[in-house]
Amino acid sequence: MAREKSAMNRRQFLKQSAAFGLGSLMAPAFARQVYAASKDRVAVLHSVSADSLNPYAHSASPTYGIWQHILEPLVEVDYAKKEFYGVLAESWEFQGKKWVFRLKKGIRFHNGAAFTSKDVIFSINRMKTDKASLQRSNFRDVVEMQAPDDHTVIIATKTPSAVFLDRLHNRFMISKAAADKYGDQMDQHAIGTGPYRFVSWQRDGNLVLTRNDDYWGPKPEIKEVVYRKVGEEAGRVAGLLAGQGDVINNVPVDEIPRLESHPRVRVEKVAGLRMYFLAMNCTLKPFDNKLVRQAVNYCIDPQAIIKYIYDGNGYMVDGPVPSHVIGYDPNLKRYPNDPKKARELLAKAGFSNGVEVKLYFSPDRYPKAREICQVIADQLLKGGIKTEPVSQEFVIFWGKDGVNGGKLPFYYVGRPFVDTDTFYDQYFHSGVTKRIGYSNAEFDRLMKEQQSTGDQKKRVALLQEAGRIVMEDAPFVPLYNLAEVYGVARNVIWKARPDEKILVWDMKIRS
Amino acid sequence: MARMRYLKIWVGGAILSLLLVCGLAAPFLTPYDPQEQRLEHRLRPPSLGGQGFGPHWLGTDNLGRDILSRIIYGSRISLLVGATTVVLAGFMGCFLGALAGYFGDLTDEVISKISEIFLAFPFLLLAIALMAFLGQGLLNLILALMLTRWVQYCRVVRGEVLSLKERDFVVAARALGGRDFYILFRHVVPNTLASVTVIATFAMAIVIIAEASLSFLGLGVPPSIPTWGSMLSEGRSYMYRAPWLTIFPGIAIFVTVFGINLLGDGLRDILDPKLRGQR
Repeated sequence: MAREKSAMNRRQFLKQSAAFGLGSLMAPAFARQVYAASKDRVAVLHSVSADSLNPYAHSASPTYGIWQHILEPLVEVDYAKKEFYGVLAESWEFQGKKWVFRLKKGIRFHNGAAFTSKDVIFSINRMKTDKASLQRSNFRDVVEMQAPDDHTVIIATKTPSAVFLDRLHNRFMISKAAADKYGDQMDQHAIGTGPYRFVSWQRDGNLVLTRNDDYWGPKPEIKEVVYRKVGEEAGRVAGLLAGQGDVINNVPVDEIPRLESHPRVRVEKVAGLRMYFLAMNCTLKPFDNKLVRQAVNYCIDPQAIIKYIYDGNGYMVDGPVPSHVIGYDPNLKRYPNDPKKARELLAKAGFSNGVEVKLYFSPDRYPKAREICQVIADQLLKGGIKTEPVSQEFVIFWGKDGVNGGKLPFYYVGRPFVDTDTFYDQYFHSGVTKRIGYSNAEFDRLMKEQQSTGDQKKRVALLQEAGRIVMEDAPFVPLYNLAEVYGVARNVIWKARPDEKILVWDMKIRS
Repeated sequence: MARMRYLKIWVGGAILSLLLVCGLAAPFLTPYDPQEQRLEHRLRPPSLGGQGFGPHWLGTDNLGRDILSRIIYGSRISLLVGATTVVLAGFMGCFLGALAGYFGDLTDEVISKISEIFLAFPFLLLAIALMAFLGQGLLNLILALMLTRWVQYCRVVRGEVLSLKERDFVVAARALGGRDFYILFRHVVPNTLASVTVIATFAMAIVIIAEASLSFLGLGVPPSIPTWGSMLSEGRSYMYRAPWLTIFPGIAIFVTVFGINLLGDGLRDILDPKLRGQR
């Protein structure tokens, strides 16, 4: 008897679970109505988020885009014209070892305090001295800052710095008055001059912003913005299709046809500024040997990755930098794909039985990184380099025990830039970051000279010369630029930017 | 009824033996190297060959690797992790459970409280936390799963020992001058083996699913080793375009767990003392 009873129960249990399962499958269909995009609110499902409320404790382009709603920079780039325009700065002047900035007048912070030259000096000082700051290296040449009046800032550099505007790009201004009032707690209030005010933030959860109705510039149309971190590609796509979000980034190329055929959603594509490459830390074995680094270069075939993994949505980099940036050299080509040559070089380097390495990557940060790294491992194997891909959380990958601490010997990474100097300086200039541990006196000299040359033509020639050195020393394998692919609700009018920033004040809702 | 019971054992046992053969003889059974990438043949649907490439009975995955070969190799990890964990957790749980049941008092208190602490955490959550702490790797995976699975053995064995130690044959053994450990492991513990076998089979099914879940979350073994869970994880983004990437590893997990559960069910019918009278 007892047994029969239990059989009944099991059957009932199965029935109930089936009903429950069916119900949960149908839930998104009902949820769609609940979450329908409103005129006042845009939800962005983002692959990354602000990992802390410290505005300087990161150095990642999409994160700049999030912060830029609250905080503003002195200058921003016009990507079509490849030149800078002022945001908080009215005008500027390059005077040898000095940069003079005139600030816009009548701008107020969210707390009511006026924006003045003192705030600029305070902000830059904090970027330089805050222990958690990952933006420090941009100001290492700054020796003195002066504020002759409330709307003039004079920044003196050790040597003439022609590329200083580029260093100021994405450097946001915070309020000195707020710092005086709140002390250590100032970040919790996140006060800036931007078109949106800070409302709330949870780690790996929502960042909520509301429109700043006292904004000095043109007022945004959308009242409330929610940035939600959804690290998984499939999660973002499902969220968009279910109407839980209005904009998503890093759409996997395989999902493009499905999004395009959906009645509520469209796809927005633009060629990205981010150049993907493989970095080899020259201070760690076996990459301290130039021949090994060159062998790695001979093994890699980016065309295969673009064609098969990205369905053609990418552009191979032929040389150290892509053809659309300042400093490109049409005469400098990449290493050809030649695994046989790689084996010869390895033998010469003393690794005739091959060599074993680990390739680090962060699967949530860059699209299809997991697949790419397995393909790269396969390509390297053909040249005698046995590679084990290792997946890491982005916070660990990018942090002090990872890339930025100089702890990873070999990793897959991307860097957006418009001027070759940005990339070379951050990765190859001795002592700037620990990311790659590369050091070459001649390269450093060219970089220094280029950074103090006002004449653009001469500067480009110097960058090209530096490019030849870094190609020969091969601390990296240039790969490709990808199309940036966004999924957008059809009623959201918005044009994607090449720099991965999703700026909600550019959006309008079609009624 | 009896025939039905043996049918379960036969079918379950057959499925498990088939998998065992697959795992052991993987290099001889697989038509392709499970790691061999042929990008130009990626995302091919299941086919019997032709069109300029060899037969891929279950199709190819996102990197052009043969799915059948990867599933066969994947069975190695599933069975290895399943069997090792179940045996290790079994030893640990039985030993502690027997001590707790037989000696009672403080020993029982300490061991029972520890097992209650482990029970307080949801099983998979505890495994995820341990994996995050220990890092990726096969040994760490087994260790993490073992630490989450021993409690069940411990509690069942403790209960059985509590009742067994009052039985006449134990009293007789003691009267003849047998020492505690001798009585415990010679006379008491062997009598719990029937229940332990049943727990072990069900635990194996749970562990195999847990291994797949952890691999799916990227916390299992490194990406270079094919496992059913990581195949599901990698195929997930192709669910609409190439569903066979997820369907076949899913079926593999399902059939394995189904087979083991059948076996466990059959064994329980025979070994469970409460059901003995109905034979």
